[in-house]
Amino acid sequence: MLIDQTHRKWFLGSVVGLALATVVYVPYSLNSPQGPKGSSVLGLIYGSVGFAFMLFAGLLGLRKKFPVWRVGRAQTWMRGHLWLGLVSFPLILFHGGFHFGTQLTRVLMWLFVFVFASGLLGAALQHFIPRIHTAQLPMETIYEQIDRVRGQLAQEATRLVDQCCATLEGEVSGASERQRAVAASAGANWDVTVASGLQADEPTSNELRQFLLTEMLPYLEKAGPRGVRLGTAAQAQAMFRHLRVLLPPNLHSQVDDLENICLEKRQLDKQNRLHRILHGWLLVHIPLSYAVLLLGAWHAVVAIRF
Amino acid sequence: MSQRTRTTKTLAKRIDLQYFARPHPFRRWRLWLSVGVPLIALGWVVGQRAEGGQKAYSSGPLAHSHAVFTQQCGLCHVARTGAFFAHVSDQACLTCHDAPVHQPEQTFTPQCSSCHVEHQGAIRLAATSDASCMQCHANLRTRDGQPHYAASIGGFDRQHPEFSVLAPGRTDPGRIKLNHYVHLQPNLMGPNNTRVEMSCDDCHRATGSGETWPYASTELHSAALKLTSQDLNQRGSKAPMVPPAFAWHCAACHTLQFDNRFGNAQVPHDKPEVVHAFLIKQFGEYIAAHPAAVHEVEASNRELPERARIPRVARNASEWVEFRVEDAEHLLWLKTCKQCHTLNFTGGPLPEVAKSSITARWLPHAEFDHQAHRAMACTACHTRAPNSRDTADILVPSIQICQQCHREQGPMKESAEGRCFECHQYHDWSKAKRTKGRFSIPELRGTARLRMPKN
Repeated sequence: MLIDQTHRKWFLGSVVGLALATVVYVPYSLNSPQGPKGSSVLGLIYGSVGFAFMLFAGLLGLRKKFPVWRVGRAQTWMRGHLWLGLVSFPLILFHGGFHFGTQLTRVLMWLFVFVFASGLLGAALQHFIPRIHTAQLPMETIYEQIDRVRGQLAQEATRLVDQCCATLEGEVSGASERQRAVAASAGANWDVTVASGLQADEPTSNELRQFLLTEMLPYLEKAGPRGVRLGTAAQAQAMFRHLRVLLPPNLHSQVDDLENICLEKRQLDKQNRLHRILHGWLLVHIPLSYAVLLLGAWHAVVAIRF
Repeated sequence: MSQRTRTTKTLAKRIDLQYFARPHPFRRWRLWLSVGVPLIALGWVVGQRAEGGQKAYSSGPLAHSHAVFTQQCGLCHVARTGAFFAHVSDQACLTCHDAPVHQPEQTFTPQCSSCHVEHQGAIRLAATSDASCMQCHANLRTRDGQPHYAASIGGFDRQHPEFSVLAPGRTDPGRIKLNHYVHLQPNLMGPNNTRVEMSCDDCHRATGSGETWPYASTELHSAALKLTSQDLNQRGSKAPMVPPAFAWHCAACHTLQFDNRFGNAQVPHDKPEVVHAFLIKQFGEYIAAHPAAVHEVEASNRELPERARIPRVARNASEWVEFRVEDAEHLLWLKTCKQCHTLNFTGGPLPEVAKSSITARWLPHAEFDHQAHRAMACTACHTRAPNSRDTADILVPSIQICQQCHREQGPMKESAEGRCFECHQYHDWSKAKRTKGRFSIPELRGTARLRMPKN
């Protein structure tokens, strides 16, 4: 989510709320006989408000599950999640007087620290990474479809190489007008064969197939660039330059296509990587958030009882 | 030039339109973790509960004195039958600590737990915060509207009044004539005509030091040893100074000889009646053993104050005893005893000795631990003592001297502890009643279920 001018009201509201909470906390902390405690009236207020904000932030998941619910715009919920979740952390610190307590409260606070930190990281990632996507990945696709698209790229590359090989192996359909004319004259000139007329070049064809089988397909079929030369742009460029030298000019456009396929694969790999960064923090943030809400509710019950 | 086309149509054809309906590893992981992590958290809570203790809910470790009860929350958190709440009530504290009230005139009695805050770790529970005391003492109100103490105290080094004993016009009520200046002079005549130089701790030491006194009597009279064990033991944790006593501090130099016939024999350091009886007995026994002495003319070479040297000859033994007792008492009352005591001759045969009225505790509402201050020279604090010539001088140090080291922030500010509890006690433990223990060891340790009282 881009944090821009549209967040201004939320930002100002959060700053004012936090400033107010701090202004109340400082004299409360200084004048409390035994220091600020969660069980004091103000401590309970901080705890209750902080937990209410946490609950609201946690409800974002529910809101996403039911997008048709008429309970405010998803964007508003997202902003509320971001800013109220941010403010909830200092409020909970005020609640506990900056002490983590023992056992249950300590576990709770450390979980909350991880939730808060992962949330901050997530907000920063969500702010910056989409720009990288837009600028550097024009060939991006739907993340869940990357594997499928990769398969299609492999098929496309195979098809292109088949075409090139057919041409190289003397298939008339793949020859140019001039080659066809030369091939047609085979027999009239004793040293010209049909194959030579079509400039058939079986060794090159074999080499191209070999390139497909050993370099391109392994690269396209597997996710990631690990251990494959085509995964590196510079090495890929060098390899395709070599192919262009090897193949006749009429096949260069196919080589360009093959290179483009590899470029798309590299972008998909990068998209995959960025997606994991962009959403991977959620694997920490969401489960720990649920644990915090659960233990927080239990802590409230126990604290009220004792 | 690449011939590949990337139209919207060609791109759309690549996509499986039902992809969102199929599980994806990322979403699957998110789901499993979202279920699993809270379940683990729940399992931990349940596991802790199943272990039998409620320690997981503790907001912090207990103080030293209560740490042994850590597993038995119900000892303090008493839940009434059917009630949800189990807050700590004063009643739970009073079960073991029958803490007497602070002042009968106080208008507000805080809850035990508001001053003695538990679950703060291994602290001394008596080390309460100043703010607990300031609740009342910052603006003291009493039932009768007449505060007997400073009505507004803000902390030891901010707004604490001077010690009341040092108020202008206050004097030492003691009646023993003692000149500190003289006693601290060098080359003083000591026991057996030796020359000595006394130091403060020759006479002033904390109780229980166990060392011998350099100027104590070689034969301590039992009467002198009636020394106020009650005084010595009051609030015994912070050892007070031993109150000065003749037998321990004076007897070696201030001898009580009464007649040359008896060599170095001394009268008991006791009431005049006891001294009088002692003298009659001594002289009676002497004349019985030396009947010829009755007719000896008394050649007095002693300087008897306020009395002419008129030799007197007794006609019989009883008269001889009377004359000798009279001479001896004259020496004692007008010279030996008078040197230190105030004697009132109210017309009776024997004088009345004014009560010594030595102040055992100069700060009756505070405690001072001399032992804790042993690194300092006595005169570092008692600055006026070396030059004090008058018994009426009060030699208690000013609060400003204490404030040089003791600050409210205490060790946090590289100072000595300066909070209220360091010198003052809230509860007057001398009025504490005995409590009756009712728990077994397993109950206290949390290995057995707690039996609730029937009431």
